Amino acid sequence: MKKIFLMLTVLALSANFAFAQNVETIVNKANLVSYYASRDGRSSVKMTITDSQGRERIRQFKILRLNIKDGEEQKFYVYFEKPTDVARMTYMVWKNIAQDDDRWMYLPALDLVRRISASDKRSSFVGSHFVYEDVSGRGVYADDHELLGEEDGLYKIKNTPKETQGVEFAYYLVWIDAKNFIPMKAEYYNKNGDLVRTIEALEVQDVDGHPTVVRSRAIDVERGGETVMEFSNVQYDIGLADNIFTERYLRKPPMQWIQP
Amino acid sequence: MTTQGTMMKKAVLTLIFILAFAQTGFAEWPQIHGFVEMDYGVKVSDDNTKRDNYNLFEQRLQLRANHNFSGDNYLAQKGASLSFKGDFTVDEYYNGKTGFELRELNLALTPMDIVDLKIGRQALTWGTGELLFINDMFPKDYVSFLIGRDNEYLKKPSDAVKVSIYPKFANIDLVAIPHFAPNTIPKGDRLSFFDTFQKGIAGVNSERRLIDPPFQMSNNEYALRVYRNFGSNEAALYFFHGFDKNPRSYKNQAARELYYEPMDVYGGSLRGPFASGIGNIEVGYIRSRDDSKGNLRTVENSSFKTMMGYSKDLGNDLNVGFQYMYEQKLDYDDYRDNLLTNDYRWDQRRHLLTNRIVKLFKNQTVRVSLFTFYSPTDNDGYVRPVVAYDINDQWKVTFGANLPWGEDENTEFGQMKRNKNIYTRIRYSF
Repeated sequence: MKKIFLMLTVLALSANFAFAQNVETIVNKANLVSYYASRDGRSSVKMTITDSQGRERIRQFKILRLNIKDGEEQKFYVYFEKPTDVARMTYMVWKNIAQDDDRWMYLPALDLVRRISASDKRSSFVGSHFVYEDVSGRGVYADDHELLGEEDGLYKIKNTPKETQGVEFAYYLVWIDAKNFIPMKAEYYNKNGDLVRTIEALEVQDVDGHPTVVRSRAIDVERGGETVMEFSNVQYDIGLADNIFTERYLRKPPMQWIQP
Repeated sequence: MTTQGTMMKKAVLTLIFILAFAQTGFAEWPQIHGFVEMDYGVKVSDDNTKRDNYNLFEQRLQLRANHNFSGDNYLAQKGASLSFKGDFTVDEYYNGKTGFELRELNLALTPMDIVDLKIGRQALTWGTGELLFINDMFPKDYVSFLIGRDNEYLKKPSDAVKVSIYPKFANIDLVAIPHFAPNTIPKGDRLSFFDTFQKGIAGVNSERRLIDPPFQMSNNEYALRVYRNFGSNEAALYFFHGFDKNPRSYKNQAARELYYEPMDVYGGSLRGPFASGIGNIEVGYIRSRDDSKGNLRTVENSSFKTMMGYSKDLGNDLNVGFQYMYEQKLDYDDYRDNLLTNDYRWDQRRHLLTNRIVKLFKNQTVRVSLFTFYSPTDNDGYVRPVVAYDINDQWKVTFGANLPWGEDENTEFGQMKRNKNIYTRIRYSF
């Protein structure tokens, strides 16, 4: 009897363990597919920001990305095109895992390289309804993950932040495509359990064998307003050099990579 | 400005144009962007300037164009681009005087893999301070700053050749400026200031003359920066050989002549992540070449400057920054011992604190900021509140105030205390 009980316990534990492994695997794969596809890449991005009163604003920029270590460090370079008052401004991020990201911004009118403090990753990216972490990825280590089940070929995962300070949500649910591991939808809830924000993939395309979200939408459910983000001219494995992501190119944009 | 200087400038600019266009024609005309705006700043205190009721009232049209060379020619192969930016102004302060200011006209190219070149009129900035400068010896326009023009206009362009070299161990910027350009500072007609000849705050009654260094090879200015990253930290060393950008020494006291004394600046800076924000520190030793021993009472002494700063993102689009700067006049005993009884005696030390708070609202379309300077040693300060609202991608409206104050009339901000204004600006970008 004792033996059977022990066996059951071991079984239960190992099943639990297998399940836990499973959810971490899914989350890791989703992270790699969403943010680390190929060694490097570039894209044109257009954001259409609609506020709660229906007024539209446009943000257009080019983005370059280089992976330093898959699933971990990355470098980003952003060249702004629209609106015209920010045109030719550049922005650079060294995404770190163990410490805050490093961010720089270059203002051509002043020839000024500004270092930006990056402790707040949950603030809006260029005034849109996407936050920095939506664009560059939220560290998989930042949350506890729980697989709630599978619905229509999507894994439903509940993510609870380990550190609640500086995070505007209590938890969020993500639906990840079981075939290609692209997150198709995310819902953010506050501590009262109210839905406050959603992000959804509106269109996924295959680009050089990489499933790529080319259109997505963030909705501020709480205050109203939404942003549609569209990617075009997506290219992978273009051979970006590490030195693109330095002050030299912040001041003098690498036009051969920026012009398609 | 000397006629020789103006001619030289025109010649350099024309040369750039010819070089740029001779190589290749424009396949398509570059897109023109820019803005039109109107600025109006009401004066809230009385002084002896040209006008009592306002010190800013102007319309401005800025045009910008960039051309990246393409095709099969040298400039295209070297990734060359030509940038132009010019401002047309109608200045109601001077009864509707029209003007044109060429802000940028330069050719940038990469002649070798590790070399970048930028030739022509350009904005130049380096150093780690925010609105405080130690090693950035490039010219500034403090009149624009004090009357509330956009921050862009604090920076005056330089006619320069900038060579940037990127060997493995460090990055090197070398700037040569053939023609001296001073800071634009109050001279009494628009903004009142402390005039040592008048022994008080002066307006249109100021009769002082500012003497530029003669335009000659030996008066070229040079600025050097060597910098590199150590992980997330940025380190830089600086050297400058040129002239003070403010006229702080006497050429001829009887003739009320001031000049820009020659100086060398040696400095360094560090910037990087610190206490979950960004920290920076910068130092500079300024050597006054005409008075390196400090015993000439008419020429500014050598000095030492240092500053440290810290800025932090507090979340919810709220960012704060603090800076502390310390300046010390060197060889102070020699300076003091050589003064005459009627001379002003400037202090040996100055401490300066700054604070910046920026908060964004409504999807970052409303920007509320407050920048404050305060010097406990000078007992003066300067408060700059600004509220800017992006109505949409084209229209932007700005409200702000410039509030310098001070106990005395001869301190940096105290002398500006009668120039307080409240301004508004409406801008359409295209």
